[in-house]
Amino acid sequence: MITVKDLHKYFDDNHVLRGINYEIEKGEKIVIIGASGSGKSTFLRCLNLLDIPTSGHIWVDGEEITDPKADVNQIRRKMGMVFQHFNLFNNLTIMDNITLAPVKLKIQSVEEAKENALALLDRVGLREKADAYPSQLSGGQKQRIAIVRSLAMNPEVMLFDEPTSALDPEMVGEVLQVMRELADSGMTMVVVTHEMGFAREVASKVVFVDEGIIKEENTPQEFFNTPKDPRLQEFLSKVL
Amino acid sequence: MNGLIEKFTQDFIVDDRWKFITKGLGVTLEVTALALVFGVIIGLIIGIIRCAHDQQNANERRGVKGAILNFLNLICQLYVTVIRGTPALVQLLIMYFIILVSAQSKVMVAVVTFSINSGAYVAEIFRGGIMSIDKGQMEAGRSLGLNYVQTMTYTIIPQAMKACLPALANELITLLKETSICGYIGLNELTRGGDIIRGTTFDALLPLFCVAIIYLVIVMLLSYLMSLIERRLRKSDNR
Repeated sequence: MITVKDLHKYFDDNHVLRGINYEIEKGEKIVIIGASGSGKSTFLRCLNLLDIPTSGHIWVDGEEITDPKADVNQIRRKMGMVFQHFNLFNNLTIMDNITLAPVKLKIQSVEEAKENALALLDRVGLREKADAYPSQLSGGQKQRIAIVRSLAMNPEVMLFDEPTSALDPEMVGEVLQVMRELADSGMTMVVVTHEMGFAREVASKVVFVDEGIIKEENTPQEFFNTPKDPRLQEFLSKVL
Repeated sequence: MNGLIEKFTQDFIVDDRWKFITKGLGVTLEVTALALVFGVIIGLIIGIIRCAHDQQNANERRGVKGAILNFLNLICQLYVTVIRGTPALVQLLIMYFIILVSAQSKVMVAVVTFSINSGAYVAEIFRGGIMSIDKGQMEAGRSLGLNYVQTMTYTIIPQAMKACLPALANELITLLKETSICGYIGLNELTRGGDIIRGTTFDALLPLFCVAIIYLVIVMLLSYLMSLIERRLRKSDNR
């Protein structure tokens, strides 16, 4: 589904990603953990080119998105992204937030898009918010809407960039619940998070990113019970 | 008191002199309105070019589009620098005596001058407005597969407009008052209308205060209208 080969990223002189190689299969749920500044978010943002890799190659569904001739907008339609700060369109109602891309990109008619949006809103229990504006919602509600907005494009993979880090503690649960259900539905997911419980329960693989490279990758059980990398052992001893 | 009534009659009633004021007001409003429309159009285009240039990523900067944007951006910067760096009156005189020397209509000269002048200020207002929108909004749009122009059109610019509105209202008020320099090219707008009466009747007090009060009333009216519009636009940030 996604293949990453020798990915490097510099921000000016700062060498953030130092050669990442990884392969994500369809249906996998990859959870990426690591200290802040380790490069885990940058890695995720490189996958849909919100950050442009300095060098290296990324293939999505067999298409190389790092090829300068690639149609990036087309490829991004297949990859939903959920942000730490929700990034709902503040000038649009919830309904318009969800239907904007499918309608403007001529994937669905207005009626189809609305119907689809209401069905998705039902799934996250927020149908009655369709006509509200983002500023009228709580953080947890915003994030659930943001997930729905991405799902409205029928993506093949969903990227989550610390989706619960900006939430009040009592709202983390409702967002993780939606993500769990999404995982159960078979969606391919790449999740950067600090929620170790979520990683343990949902992940098919857990990845530890440190100093811009993947230091360890394993099934959740092995990863948490018998970590091998000393940096990972140290990290886990601090967060668990 | 009688003296005042006598002066008032002399200034405004005799020979229908009030018409200098009303006709002048018409010209002032015409020039202001047209210059505002063209100024906003120029400003929006230039503001967007400047932002599009600044917001390019490393890859886009290297391409052909990047080179074109670089060039356009340079022209826009030059335009803004020159227009903001010279007095409007000097620009008006240059336009009238040099660039548009064969123009038939003084109104046209004034509109062209003030459109270009206002465009430079509006461009910076829009640029500030667009830059003030959280970059997460652009990232969200792009991550959904919308392109730069679509994301700008449907989400960034509407939000930026709202953020810009107080500054735009301010620019409109400045523009209205600045058209008073059009008397220098012999355009009979409001200020010159009052001044013509002063020159005829040798009474400065009533005509000039009359003109001042008219400007003041229009500005207060504009401020009121803007506050109404702002309140309407604010409905999406109800908390």
